[in-house]
Amino acid sequence: MEAQKGKWETIYIQHFREEARPLKYYLDQMEGYQALKKCLGLTPDDIINEVKKSNLRGRGGAGFPTGTKWGFIPKQSPKPKYVVCNADESEPGTFKDRDLMRYTPHLLIEGMVIAGHAIGANVGYIYIRGEYTREAKLLDEAINEAYAKGYLGNDVLGTGFKFDLTVHRGAGAYICGEETGLLNSLEGKRGEPRVKPPFPAQAGAFGGPTIVNNVETLCAVPFIMRKGGEWFAKFGKFEKSGGTRLFCVSGHVKKPGLYELPAGAITIRELIYDYCGGILDDKPLKAVIPGGSSAPVLTASEIDVALDIEPMMKAKTMLGSAGIMVVAEGFDVVKLIRRITKFYAHESCGQCTPCREGCRWMEEILGRIMDGKGKRQDTDMLLSIADNINGKTLCALGDAAAGPVISFVTKFKPDFEAKMPAGGTHA
Amino acid sequence: MPKCTIDGKQIEFAAGTNLIEVAKSAGIEIPFYCYHPGLSIVAQCRMCAVEIEGMPKLQTACSTNATDGMVVKTNSERSVANQKSVMEFLLINHPLDCSICDKSGECDLQDFSYRYGSAHMRYEEERRTFVDDDMGPIIKKNMNRCIHCTRCIRFADEIADKREIVALQRGNHTEIVTVEGKPLATEYAGCYADICPTGSLTLKDFRFQKRVWFLKKTPSVCEGCSRGCNMDISWEKDTVYRCNPRTNMEVNKWWMCDEGRFNFHYVHNPLRIVEPETMSDGRTAKVDWDKAIHAATHATTGKKAVVLVGSDLTQEELQGIQKFATKKLGGAQVFHFGTPGVKTVADDKDIDHLLKRASKTANLNGVEKLGIQPFDKVPAGAQVAVVFRGGRAQLPNLGSTPVVGVGVFFTEEAKNFAAVLPGASFAEKNGTIINWKGMEQKLQAAIPAVGHSKQLAEILLHWTHGAAKEEVIPAAAGEITA
Repeated sequence: MEAQKGKWETIYIQHFREEARPLKYYLDQMEGYQALKKCLGLTPDDIINEVKKSNLRGRGGAGFPTGTKWGFIPKQSPKPKYVVCNADESEPGTFKDRDLMRYTPHLLIEGMVIAGHAIGANVGYIYIRGEYTREAKLLDEAINEAYAKGYLGNDVLGTGFKFDLTVHRGAGAYICGEETGLLNSLEGKRGEPRVKPPFPAQAGAFGGPTIVNNVETLCAVPFIMRKGGEWFAKFGKFEKSGGTRLFCVSGHVKKPGLYELPAGAITIRELIYDYCGGILDDKPLKAVIPGGSSAPVLTASEIDVALDIEPMMKAKTMLGSAGIMVVAEGFDVVKLIRRITKFYAHESCGQCTPCREGCRWMEEILGRIMDGKGKRQDTDMLLSIADNINGKTLCALGDAAAGPVISFVTKFKPDFEAKMPAGGTHA
Repeated sequence: MPKCTIDGKQIEFAAGTNLIEVAKSAGIEIPFYCYHPGLSIVAQCRMCAVEIEGMPKLQTACSTNATDGMVVKTNSERSVANQKSVMEFLLINHPLDCSICDKSGECDLQDFSYRYGSAHMRYEEERRTFVDDDMGPIIKKNMNRCIHCTRCIRFADEIADKREIVALQRGNHTEIVTVEGKPLATEYAGCYADICPTGSLTLKDFRFQKRVWFLKKTPSVCEGCSRGCNMDISWEKDTVYRCNPRTNMEVNKWWMCDEGRFNFHYVHNPLRIVEPETMSDGRTAKVDWDKAIHAATHATTGKKAVVLVGSDLTQEELQGIQKFATKKLGGAQVFHFGTPGVKTVADDKDIDHLLKRASKTANLNGVEKLGIQPFDKVPAGAQVAVVFRGGRAQLPNLGSTPVVGVGVFFTEEAKNFAAVLPGASFAEKNGTIINWKGMEQKLQAAIPAVGHSKQLAEILLHWTHGAAKEEVIPAAAGEITA
């Protein structure tokens, strides 16, 4: 979390300190709740248009334009509308939302009240992953402060706008980070994704129109509303992608941690070597998983890609949640993909066939290969199974499990073959 | 009407119809497991995914409504590849125990694996297995056969209105269980076996009784209450093995209660009287038909009789009895009986949220339409009661009045009867019943009358014309051998 020595302007990371947490710091040092004050005087359309102008794209992984998402919420609705913050942060390799909630909880609260005003919702939920016990407690404390000062409650800042906010803790399931799985869990049901359509904007929490936004996405909102959409958009180096991004770097780098950089400003190579101090023990680079463990892997020669949504897509991977995992030469990539696959097999909710059966099947084959009982045709088999899952499941978990397997097997085939018994037999 | 194209066929459809139903209307089958027209749509088996022009990914046909101009391919390379792939995934953990599985022969998984599956198995890893817990008296669970379609969970929640089945664990370990392991409490538990697309939930009652390919089905109507749920009677030779609901959207949709489903067992109850009986020396004795008719005639001749008819009889039977009472029993008064506390259709109400009615007999409405009054007590001066019953109507208390019973009776209840002339049950006769809504529905004979029991028309003819006249009435017997 080292500050980036002035080269680029940052929004959040300079506040990631214990003393930033209380409301007083937020009011004094971060112009806290000024944006809310301003927004309560604006029409919902004004706010949504400003967010559209900012080119803010969802920070949870899918990168959907936030203003557009808000625009889908019907103006009139017989059922109550909801603002839900997805604080499940369950993608392996991702730890940005944790720090935003830990150090700047009021930023999130303010973002949610503004979102509520923008879509006409009077209730918000922060669905936080069960493991974040400390952050849940800190958020509760901050929410209490906000209620006491009238930033939340029946009469927000004396304007008559009502907004209630509740922290809802998950029970430790990856699938509850999928927005409809999250909504089911929030409603007290089994955490399983729903069939879409209807999308949450039409029928989300408790059947009401709902926006589900990531923590980082909502935290950008107060800045956008205070400083203007154009100000935020200008950070971005690519079209239609504004703001800075928090990159979570882990693995074999000398300085792992959280880095804040303008969207698309640098490449993966620059991040690893110029910011993170290069590879641990100066080993050669083997692989990079650039967007949380569900992102297809890149080899050492594929890392000259700008860190933004579109360039990553062109490189046939994804920026996802910006959880960047760096792997040095010498580390067993088969072991790595086996561990990743085990995770997805374990986290598959089990409702749809290809994911429930396929993930486990891939895990078993990878386990067998690790145990030295691989067969020459196993790599083709893995590709075939992954292909049968990819794009054919109810939610994105299937893709999240299949993409890594396809990329690891395709790009590191010799590593797999090296584990096969000599002369690898046919069954 | 809007039109779409499925596999090159132009099909008209009503707005809001999903692709599975639209295709079905044109005779095109899209395979599916989790979809059921009576349950919510979850799109999770993925078997019905089809290619739709202009959409990059395959779309599930259950959750996609047809739109005007939509072009759908259910047999394109990608659709077929997905069907094959889903079949493979479903079979990797499914035991190959069709030979001992009761679902075999009417199993969606089996049928589709012939049509869409592969003869070659690529899976070489260990199969996932479960230890099964008991689900109560109706349903036998075999979790290893489960394909996780969740129809049972949705049926419990949405139709039976009891959240009694849930999924435990997750992913590959997902197990279908009852809440806290309790036995199933719904009175519609048999439907779990109907909707289960594999042999995971089967009827304990039917298990190992008969391979389904030996069974013939006769479409008939349940006589268990005044709803008149449509059902198929499954039988072989002279035995009924099972009754299943038959879809009728105006009556019972796809469902049926357990009481009605298992009602047929009395047909083959060993205590059912299927040979004529008469009273001699204070004990009932099996006799031939001539002797029994003689005894019945003797018991009623010169006496003031009262006629009681069960509201479980058919319109045809009731009309025959009315005539018989007028001509042969000296104009005896006719009263009906059936369910204690339900004397008229006004007393006949829904007694649960789904199908069950208060009248435990099927033809209360029909009885009333024929002007027959409810039985209250034996009228003064009546010296003998002639009781006609189908099999379900509950006998009223007749005190010490001598009784001649015609129809279905059991040993214990008929032990003091002067004579029993055994008749046909619902499974053995044709006829019309009128349900509570006034709908006329047809009972159809599935098996010949058990033992020496006979159709009521035949018995009345015999009685009318006296003993030894059996041979002149072949028509009634002929009806049921078709």
